[in-house]
Amino acid sequence: MNNSERPTARKSGLVVQEVPDEVLVYDLESNKAHCLNQSAAMIWKSCDGNNSVSEIAKLVETQAGEKITEDFVWLAIDQLSENNLLEQQVASNFQGQSRRDVIKKIGLASMVAIPVIASLVAPQSALAAASCACNNPQQCGNPPNSQCPSTINCTVLGVCAAA
Amino acid sequence: MLENGLRFSHSPELEFVLESYGVRVKIQASNKRLLSEAEQVAKRALVDRVQIVKAREADHTFGIFGDPDETLHLVLAGEQVSYDTLHDRFFKFFDSILRITVAEHAKDLVFIHAGVVGWKGKAIVIPANSFCGKTTLVAQLVKNGATYYSDEYAILDASGLVHAFPRDLSMRYFAGTVVERAVTVEELGGVVGSTPLPVGLVLLTEYAENAEWKPETLTRGQGMMEVIPHTIPRKYDPEFSLKVLNTAVSDAIIVKSFRGEAAEFAIKLLSFFDSITVD
Repeated sequence: MNNSERPTARKSGLVVQEVPDEVLVYDLESNKAHCLNQSAAMIWKSCDGNNSVSEIAKLVETQAGEKITEDFVWLAIDQLSENNLLEQQVASNFQGQSRRDVIKKIGLASMVAIPVIASLVAPQSALAAASCACNNPQQCGNPPNSQCPSTINCTVLGVCAAA
Repeated sequence: MLENGLRFSHSPELEFVLESYGVRVKIQASNKRLLSEAEQVAKRALVDRVQIVKAREADHTFGIFGDPDETLHLVLAGEQVSYDTLHDRFFKFFDSILRITVAEHAKDLVFIHAGVVGWKGKAIVIPANSFCGKTTLVAQLVKNGATYYSDEYAILDASGLVHAFPRDLSMRYFAGTVVERAVTVEELGGVVGSTPLPVGLVLLTEYAENAEWKPETLTRGQGMMEVIPHTIPRKYDPEFSLKVLNTAVSDAIIVKSFRGEAAEFAIKLLSFFDSITVD
């Protein structure tokens, strides 16, 4: 079995929340949050390690009620792999085309929204999110270059306390 | 004994256990004066939602110890997290880390780092990092008639309703260096909300000079994704956090835009909210 043709959705270390027409995924290992649109979500859910790319295209076609090409599926798989949402990284298979070219080609022909994954990195800790960290304590209280303009909030270690 | 070789003595009577939002925290200190101050800071940090309980054990333990050279050390779970020679700055940091510890582990609640006001029976939630103008905007909204819920946390319950965390606003102004002052809601001519509210609007914004208000409506998934970095317990109870967030925003509109000066923007925002909501 060629793994690159039968991708498997990653499950461990992920928290998944279904919302209408989208899937939100929070990766506990990388502190990244991902928003999969409906097309990307359908493809991700079809990545069970048994379905080939052409089989995934057929499955999505049935759900979407519209013709789906393998390029469409590969576009999602490429993004899923890049965002570490598959068990193993998969090399893109656009046969010499760039992702942009593929998007243009699919976008013009497709009645179904192209698969899109938006991502965001969350800070490591809540204290980091709620405060700021200067590179060194001398940066405290020296706007406009300081990341922490308040001498009251900035500790000797250069960590700004939350407001 | 700590890693750096410092030794602290601590008597059993120099400690207390508090409970706040379902979290038990033990505070130990090297003398009565520090212990008393820690208690006052804790009550202020947690807007008096604090009970001193008769318990020996706690979920988290802080230690506050003073050196002979008057350096103050802050220890959490046996590890030093800060030290300082400036008393006020030390306790300001303790205030922050205590609040965050409670917010991370609160029972059946999800704390979002956000400003919140009430307007016509709904909550306007403004998730943002510190130093991004959140308090300034909240203050202006209150001056324009919105009800004050918090300049720090939106507290969501399992039904998705927002509860108040009505501490005094930490207003900052520049006078050579940044100066911070606690301002009461009464000074702003406002009132504090007490009724839990459904979320009407989530506003993702930050101040930028001369910025134009160009609200982009986000889908629920996109909006939730943007709120996740501000969701305090996301690492400790991620499933519950996302579930509650989803419930909270299910009937809300989520918009994103830079904003200009708070005084002018607050009026625009309230008008915008009126225009998009149906009674």
